Amino acid sequence: MLTMFVVLDGWDIGAGILHLVVAKDDAERRQVIAAIGPLWSWHEVWLVAAGGTFVLAFPELMAVSFSGFYLALWMVLWSFVLRGISIEVGGHIADSLWRSAWDFVFAVSNLLLAILFGAALGNVIRGVPIDETGAFTMSLFTDFTARGRVGILDWYTVSVAIFTTVLLAAHGATYLRLKTVGPVHDRSERLARRLWLASAALFVVVTLETFIVRPELYQSLVQRPLAWLSVLVIAGAVWALWTGLRGPAEGRAFAGSCGVIVGLLSGAAASLFPVVLHSTLRSDHSLTAYSGATAERGLRIALIWWPVAVVLALIYFFVIMRIYAGKVRPAHDTQGY
Amino acid sequence: MDDAAFWHRLQFAFTVTYHYLFPQLTMGLAWFLVFWKWRALRTGDERYAAAARFWAKIFGLNFAVGVVTGIPMEFQFGTNWAGFAKYAGGVVGQTLAMEGMFAFLLESAFVGALVWGERRLGPRLHFLAAVGVATGSWLSGYFIIVTNAFMQHPIGHVSAGNGTLAIGDIGAFLLNEWAWIQFAHNQAAALVTGTFAVTAVGAFYALRGQHLAQARLYIQHGTAAGLLATILVAFPTGDAQAKIVARYQEPALAAMEGRFETSKMAEITLIGQPNIKERRLDNPIKVPGLLSFLAYGTFHADVRGLDAFPEETWPTNIELLYYAFHVMAGLGTIFIGLMALANVLRLRGQLESARPLLWVLMLAFPFPFIANTAGWVTSELGRQPWLVYGLFRTNQGYSAVVSSGDVLFTLIGMTGLYFVLGLLYLYLVGREVAHGPDTEMPASPYGESAGASGEATLG
Repeated sequence: MLTMFVVLDGWDIGAGILHLVVAKDDAERRQVIAAIGPLWSWHEVWLVAAGGTFVLAFPELMAVSFSGFYLALWMVLWSFVLRGISIEVGGHIADSLWRSAWDFVFAVSNLLLAILFGAALGNVIRGVPIDETGAFTMSLFTDFTARGRVGILDWYTVSVAIFTTVLLAAHGATYLRLKTVGPVHDRSERLARRLWLASAALFVVVTLETFIVRPELYQSLVQRPLAWLSVLVIAGAVWALWTGLRGPAEGRAFAGSCGVIVGLLSGAAASLFPVVLHSTLRSDHSLTAYSGATAERGLRIALIWWPVAVVLALIYFFVIMRIYAGKVRPAHDTQGY
Repeated sequence: MDDAAFWHRLQFAFTVTYHYLFPQLTMGLAWFLVFWKWRALRTGDERYAAAARFWAKIFGLNFAVGVVTGIPMEFQFGTNWAGFAKYAGGVVGQTLAMEGMFAFLLESAFVGALVWGERRLGPRLHFLAAVGVATGSWLSGYFIIVTNAFMQHPIGHVSAGNGTLAIGDIGAFLLNEWAWIQFAHNQAAALVTGTFAVTAVGAFYALRGQHLAQARLYIQHGTAAGLLATILVAFPTGDAQAKIVARYQEPALAAMEGRFETSKMAEITLIGQPNIKERRLDNPIKVPGLLSFLAYGTFHADVRGLDAFPEETWPTNIELLYYAFHVMAGLGTIFIGLMALANVLRLRGQLESARPLLWVLMLAFPFPFIANTAGWVTSELGRQPWLVYGLFRTNQGYSAVVSSGDVLFTLIGMTGLYFVLGLLYLYLVGREVAHGPDTEMPASPYGESAGASGEATLG
């Protein structure tokens, strides 16, 4: 049981870092690309790593959810491919039309990713129409109500998508404020303050909406230690963010921004656990972490090598952070980086 | 239902084939970069540093396309092959996760530093970045081949009771005999791709009379490593690969060779067309006894033909399997001959002036890609009709809830996107090759190390 939890949480870490990447839209300039350029593939492979861990830990859940979300997931994949291309290709030719075109693709694919991930999160919280065969298929939308035969988009998931998009944009602005100087820095700073205020307002809205859609989630929330922990994390992070955004402590603001996202995700995980995929048709069709997880032996084996890999990954992380420490200047460059 | 299975298979075949065009060059070039960085570090010779710098740019582009085309593969286990993910996810998930956690994170952490960080890192750290990237790319190859080896020759698993598999003996699973042999064969083949690419660019510059010092380096090192790699692909790795296919996948071997009847002193087919309807090989040219020898080490071994197996265990597409195998083996043989000839001239100091041979070497670089692809087609078609050999059939593995129309839709979308991606890739690599190797280090927008300058560029 404990085993399972670590793996589940680890997947959240993967997801958390992945969100860092998605956040960095709002980009018109090479400077912005330069701020994330050397790192994007590294962030993106976290998704691949998380995907692999997902297969390992929850083969059945993966089988059910990925085939159920078939078309939506392919849209995610296409957005990923487009975003990767636009970063790599855009900078290679110093021509203003060429660059504007790829900057546009870059912004749109990032926006799509943020929306799709938000909608996905909304779907996980709301639940999907798993029937008695243990599988489900979904249309993009049905009648926009959040009960019974739901579609991927309804009023609830759309509002979650808007919330996450704004949240990730705020996060990206905080990052850019930390990593840049000059006008981009000033603009990001202004934007970060506004976006965080908007996220806070939207958070209240989404929380109330969740209460309407899945009221039972809040009852269990009070008893979960992880839930309290994530509340603490969020509280600390909001404080860091607040003081960081008002003062010169840009690093603190960014740490706070990361903390908010980690806290929100672990809070969501804590309130959902042990159900990982709720059925909107009948709750006994839901997939739980226990039924979805792989045999215990496999997880135990994974737990031996997994921490080693995470420690190694963290070492790489510090090394790259040191290599790319410091601010990006609007420089004339050879290759757009 | 089988209709949907067909589209799922076609889509996976397309995305994985396209994806693998890139990693084979990544893995093939990786050790060139390490070698040149090492030589530059030891000798201080600027030629080696310039060579590494030039190829690192191509490596970086190639790597990026490898990443973006690799992500769909991981998702497809769930989206298109839900049956398989559910059945074997508990086993193959181990290596898929390990690949991400150990290999990808290492590889992609340092690839940016390798391409853009030469000034900032200094020669020693930059060399280490090259080692990190090379190690990561080969590790990732190993993990994915262990995954494939499990599908070819399942080992180390136990039944989880509810009709799915769980990991039993992780050591046996990771050290699968099939994985070692296939990894050795595959990596040698990736090196062939790398050496042919390096040689071809060298030949291109030599023929155009540009960048002659670099051209010479690429041709010399490319052909020297090329001979070694082409020989390694055939012997011992290709030979060992054929022997394990003979041991564990007899129907596959029979189909690869187009053998419909069992006999001793089995002959090897050089050319011929399998005729499934008539159960024979049309217009063959054969060498008697050789197949028995290659597969079992003695001329008198019995090699069973397809007639010895029930038809439902035959590979589903015998013609394609047969042709893919012969294309691979035929090209492999030609590669050895070409590289041997190039090395004879190289040792006599005549290679750079042998223009006809330089033309051949320049135009030869696409063929290792074809041979590698044909090799994988052989391996995967030979596995059919099984998804996990002997345990789980391919038509049990796809996502039953996804209709064939949806798969066709995403396949068409993927085709279009990959077409654009391919055009951009070729254009950008072509630009780098046309631009040629730089003797200057690339500027970094992060400024010089320790923030010494940088301020000057502000604004």
